[in-house]
Amino acid sequence: METVEFGGKTFSVDEDGFIDSFDNWCPEWVQYVKSVEGIDELNDEHSKLVDVLRDYYEKNGIAPMVRVLSKVTGFKLKHIYELFPSGPGKGACKMAGLPKPTGCV
Amino acid sequence: MAFISSGYNPDKPMVNRITDIGPKYYEEFYPPVIKKNKGKWLYHEILEPGICVHVAESGDELYVLRVGGCRIMSVSHIREINEIADKHCDGYLRFTTRNNIEFMVDSKDKVEPLKNDLLSRKQPGGCYKFPLGGTGAGITNIVHTQGWIHCHTPATDASGTVKATMDVLFDQFTDMKLPAKLRVSMACCLNMCGAVHCSDIAILGYHRKPPMLDHEYLDKMCEIPLAVAACPTAAIKPAKVEVNGQQVKSVSVKAERCMFCGNCYTMCPSMPLADTEGDGIVLMAGGKISNRISAPKFSKVVVAFIENEMPRWPTMTKAIKKMVDTYAGDANKYERFGDWAERIGWEKFYEKTGLEFTHHLIDDFRDPAYYTWRQTTNFKFTNAIK
Repeated sequence: METVEFGGKTFSVDEDGFIDSFDNWCPEWVQYVKSVEGIDELNDEHSKLVDVLRDYYEKNGIAPMVRVLSKVTGFKLKHIYELFPSGPGKGACKMAGLPKPTGCV
Repeated sequence: MAFISSGYNPDKPMVNRITDIGPKYYEEFYPPVIKKNKGKWLYHEILEPGICVHVAESGDELYVLRVGGCRIMSVSHIREINEIADKHCDGYLRFTTRNNIEFMVDSKDKVEPLKNDLLSRKQPGGCYKFPLGGTGAGITNIVHTQGWIHCHTPATDASGTVKATMDVLFDQFTDMKLPAKLRVSMACCLNMCGAVHCSDIAILGYHRKPPMLDHEYLDKMCEIPLAVAACPTAAIKPAKVEVNGQQVKSVSVKAERCMFCGNCYTMCPSMPLADTEGDGIVLMAGGKISNRISAPKFSKVVVAFIENEMPRWPTMTKAIKKMVDTYAGDANKYERFGDWAERIGWEKFYEKTGLEFTHHLIDDFRDPAYYTWRQTTNFKFTNAIK
């Protein structure tokens, strides 16, 4: 696995830049993902999405479906894309430290 | 190679970004004779294998030359296709839904030079670059998938098996002497991307061993409930496992319930199941999608397992050839492969083709399996079942 250093911390990431473990997530990781995902400014809405994703993953062991994410946060999919240009999977889940989405994507 | 920017600015990825423009409108690429006669075609004829003529109400004629495509092709090959289209067809061409290439000309005297040009082109190894055929009651191109070229869940190769099969069936590509068209498809795992479930003959990659479990990484890489829910036979359950003295969350697989579909590996990278000796090929037969005479049908498993024999898969191509030859000699005109097998009865199908009937072929998946068994005394005595 490759490692990246950011904000004085070292993270192990896979070839798509997802963190190796949910437990190794920290606020510095959020700043690192912001720098690689084309996000200009982090605001409360970004952190709300990340919090919801982490909370849901901790409780259920899976990432929420897009409809659930929209319903819980109140953000329409279009708005989620405005916050995370790469989308809820490649952008938001990566920032939240969730495992890389799988299946036929 | 040195980095050459396209003008995209990675620091401002959303600036000057064009999106949601869709594909080009297809009418932009119509040859003039198609544009003029769109929706006004009277009839068509197959003049010879690979060459059709369409006649419009206006009297205009469109000659179409269909040539085989290997589907995975280089840019230089595409450029050669373009060169032919520029030379003979005013720069127009199209690809079919089975990945053949069609060159279109608007008068009969342009056909012969185009045909001669196409058939004169060969690969350095000796293969035809543009073999003419694929029309009428023959065998056209094989719809296939990625295989070992690009995918991560295959049980066999796609391009290799397809090349081996088309070499064996090449006479049927360039001729039209079968009772009806015969569609061959290939998929390298039972995701069945493409058309294997509805083809006259289908080649399907198949595993025979349960997944291996990478307990150390499983909980980190995978969403465990997804892996559990991915299993059609409920062989997977969550489990706590000790790795290096630490308790970690993982799954356990009940091997005797696993039928090696590989769905769990699709969802969870820590459950790989590819295996050199275990993996191979299943052959299916009798599917179709048209509504002509009989309703569309699913293809049925007729050969439970054939080993991967790179690079030519001789056992597989022999079995396919045997099926095609038996069908060609026995079926009535217009009868598709599945129509023929159902008319003579599947027990006669096994007798005539010499394929072995094994317990693997008897459906055992949930309630619908019962409907595939025989609830009648109508059957024929055959030597196929010993």
